[in-house]
Amino acid sequence: MTAGVLVVAGALLGLGGAIAGALLPKGWRVRAATALIWAACGCEAAAAIHVLAIDRPIVLRSTELLPFTGVTLVLNSLGAFFVLLVVMVAVPATLYGIGYASHGLDTRTAACVFPLFVTTLLLVPTAGSVATFMALWELMALTSLLLVLVDHSASEASRSAGTWYAVLTHVGAATILVAFLILAAHSGGQTFAAIAVHARHLASGVRALVFMLALVGFGSKAGAVPFHVWLPKAHPEAPSPVSALMSGAMVALGVYGIVLVGDDLLGGGPVWWWLVVLVLGGASALFGSLHAASSTDLKRLLAYSTTDNIGLVLLAVGAAGLYDATRHPLLAALSLVSALVLLFNHAAFKGALFLSAGSVQVATGSRDLDRLGGLLRRMPQTGALFLVAAAAISALPPLNGFIGEWLLFQSLLHGAVIGSTAADIAIPLAVAALALTAGLTVVAFVKAVGIGFLGRPRSESADEATEVPRTMRLAVGLLVAVCVVLGVAPTLIFPAVERAVKTALPGLGTRILAHGVDLQVVGLRGMLAPAALAGSLAGAVVGIMVLRRALSRQPTPRVVEAWGCGRQLQTARMQYTATSFAEPVQRVFDDVLRPVQDLDVTHVAESRYVIESVTFANTVDDAIERSLYTPVIRAVRRWGQVARRLQPGSVHRYLAYGLGALVILLVAVAVMG
Amino acid sequence: MGSLQLRHVDAGSCNGCEIEIASVFGPVYDAERFGTRLVASPRHADGVLVTGPVTRNMAVPLKKTVEATPQPRVVIAVGDCAHDCGVFRGGYGVVGSVNDVVPVDVSIPGCPPHPTAIIEALRGITRR
Ligand code: SF4
Repeated sequence: MTAGVLVVAGALLGLGGAIAGALLPKGWRVRAATALIWAACGCEAAAAIHVLAIDRPIVLRSTELLPFTGVTLVLNSLGAFFVLLVVMVAVPATLYGIGYASHGLDTRTAACVFPLFVTTLLLVPTAGSVATFMALWELMALTSLLLVLVDHSASEASRSAGTWYAVLTHVGAATILVAFLILAAHSGGQTFAAIAVHARHLASGVRALVFMLALVGFGSKAGAVPFHVWLPKAHPEAPSPVSALMSGAMVALGVYGIVLVGDDLLGGGPVWWWLVVLVLGGASALFGSLHAASSTDLKRLLAYSTTDNIGLVLLAVGAAGLYDATRHPLLAALSLVSALVLLFNHAAFKGALFLSAGSVQVATGSRDLDRLGGLLRRMPQTGALFLVAAAAISALPPLNGFIGEWLLFQSLLHGAVIGSTAADIAIPLAVAALALTAGLTVVAFVKAVGIGFLGRPRSESADEATEVPRTMRLAVGLLVAVCVVLGVAPTLIFPAVERAVKTALPGLGTRILAHGVDLQVVGLRGMLAPAALAGSLAGAVVGIMVLRRALSRQPTPRVVEAWGCGRQLQTARMQYTATSFAEPVQRVFDDVLRPVQDLDVTHVAESRYVIESVTFANTVDDAIERSLYTPVIRAVRRWGQVARRLQPGSVHRYLAYGLGALVILLVAVAVMG
Repeated sequence: MGSLQLRHVDAGSCNGCEIEIASVFGPVYDAERFGTRLVASPRHADGVLVTGPVTRNMAVPLKKTVEATPQPRVVIAVGDCAHDCGVFRGGYGVVGSVNDVVPVDVSIPGCPPHPTAIIEALRGITRR
C-alpha cells in the first residue's frame, strides 16, 4: 500500500510543479518546478523499484477522478522499468532546464507545461485502463506539442513542425483509441486486466485489426518509418531538454505501447504480425541511419538517429514476437531483453546528445554543422561528453550501446533454429540491416564530432563560443555516466529488465541471463565480459601511452599551420564540411535519399567565359514525406476547397440546407416507420 | 644521410630547369639510384628543391612549403635564377633570389644546370 501512496504522491508533486511554474514569479518558477519534479521522480522511482523488487503489481482505483470510468493505475514490472527509464532522462533534462531556462523555458506557459509533460511521461506506464491510458497519453501529446511550439513566434519552421507533430500524433492517438475500444467492447470492461483475459479468445481477424491499429498509433509516437516525419521537424525546433525527453523517453513509450498491446494484452500473435514489426523496424533503422548520415543540422541528425535506434528496438520486438509465435520462449525473452536494454541505452546517450546539442546551440547560436567547428577546444567538457555519447551510440565498447547491439545480434544469430520459411528469410535480413545500420551510424557520428567539434571554427559565433553553465554540463555528465556504467557493468539493470520481460512474456520459468560480472545467455552459447573488455581496453590505451613516452626521443614539437599546398589565403571554409563528408554516402544511396542539387552559375555581362558567382545548394528532403504525405496533404486541401463551396456565407443557402435535411429525415422516418 | 626525399617548388622559373630535373629523375640519369626521390608533399620530404627567381606570387607559398617540411631539412636552389635571379634580375615581378626568402643550403649553378651537375650536388648530400 505504501508503494501506492508513492505513485499518487509522485503524481501530486508533479502537478504541484506545474502549479508552481504557473504561479511563481520569474526568478523562482523554474527552480521550484524542477525541485518538485525531482521529488515526483523520486517517488515514482521508489515505487517502481519496490514493484520490481517484490515482482507484484500495485493497483490503485478511484471512481471519482475521471467521470464515468474512474482512474485505474496498475504499476507492474514492465511499467516500472519504463518509469525508471523516464526518471533516468527526466532528472538530468530538468537539471539542464535550469541553465537553459532563459532560452524559452522560463515563460509562464513553458514553466507550467514542462513539469506536466514530465509527470505524464512518468504516469503513462502506470495506466491500468483504457480511459486512464488515453487521458494520460493525450495529455502527454498535448503538453509536448505546446513545448515544441514554445518558440512559435520566432520561426515559421516551428509552426510547421507543430502542425506536423499535432496531426501525426493525433492520427496515432485515434488509431490507438479505436484499437482499445474494440478490445474493451469485446471484453466487457475497460481495465487492461479484463482485456487481457478476454482478448486471447477473440476472432483472429479482430485481433489482427487491433494489433495493426495499435502498431500504427504507437509506431507514429515511436517515430518508426513511415510515421517518422514529425521527428526531424519537431526535434530541431523544440527546446533541447524537451527534445531529450521526447526522444529518450516519449518515443520509448511508443514501444511500450506496442509491447503492451502485442504481448501483454493480446498475448502474442501469429508470425505475420511480427514480420510486419520486423520489416517496419528494419526500414526505420536503415532509413533513419541513412538520413542521419547525410543530415547537416545537428538536431535533425539526432532526430533521424532516433528513428534509426527505434528501428533496432522494433527489430528486437519483432524478433521476440516471432520467437514467441514459433515457441522458442528463451529466444523470445532474449530478444525482448535486448529491446529493453537498447531502449534504456538509447534514452541515456540520446538524452546526452540532445542536451549537448542544446549546449552547442546556446554557445554558438547555430545547429548547422557547416557553421560549427573547433568546439572541442572552446568547450572542452561539452565536447568530451558529446564525444563519449557519440561513441556510445556508435556501439563502441566499452560503452552501453555495444551491449544492446551485442544482445540483439545474439538473439538474431541464434534465430537459425526457428524453421519457418518466412523467418528464415527475415532473420538473416534483419542481421544484415543491423550491420549496415551500425556502419551508417558510425558515419553520422564521426561527422557530428569531426565537423562540429574538431577542425577550425567555420563561423565567427563558433569561434567565440564559450563553455555553458555548470548545471548544464553536469546534466549531460550524469547521462554520460549512465552510458559508461552500463557499458562496464550492464548486469546492474538486468534484474529489472528480466522482471519486465517476464511480465510481458509470462510462462518463462528460467533465468534469461546469468547475473554475474559477465554477461551470459543462459541456455545458448553467448558470453561477454564487459568489465574485462573495458579493463583490457583501458590497459591497452595506458600501455600505448606509456610506451610512446618511453620510446620517443622527439624534441618539442613545432606547431605549424595545416598544409594547404602553400596557398596564400587559407580560410576555415576550405575545410571538409558536413555536406562534403556526407557526399559519398549520399551518392551511393542516391535512389533512397533522392537529394536535390541546384547549381547556379552567373556570368559577367561582358563574357560567358568569366564567372561572376556560383551558388550550389544541396538539400536532402525526406523522400517518404515527399512521396507519401505530400499527395495526401494535397488531396485534403482539395477536399477542403470543395467543402468550402458548401459554406459560402449565404443565410438563404443555410436555411435551404436545414429544410432539405428536415425533408430527408421526414421521408426516411415515413419510409422506415 | 643515405636518402633524400625532395619536394620541388617552382618559384618562377622559365621551366628550363624543370626539364633538366625531369631528366635527372628519368631513365638516363636515374637519380633514384643514389637515394633521392621526388615526393608529393613537404610533409613527406626532408628537402625542398627550388627553381627560378622568387616571384611575388610564389614568395609566401615557398616560405610555407619550407616551413611545412620537417626538420632537419635542406633547401637546394637549382639554376642561376634561384641563386641570384639570373636573367630575370630586376624584373618587376621578382622579389629576389631564393636565399632572400628562405635560407639556402646548397646552390647548383648553371642556366640551366646540366643533369650531371644536379646529380653531383644531390650525391654530395646523400653521400652515395
Ligand atoms: S636558371 Fe635558366 S633555365 Fe633555370 S629557370 Fe632560370 S632561366 Fe630558366
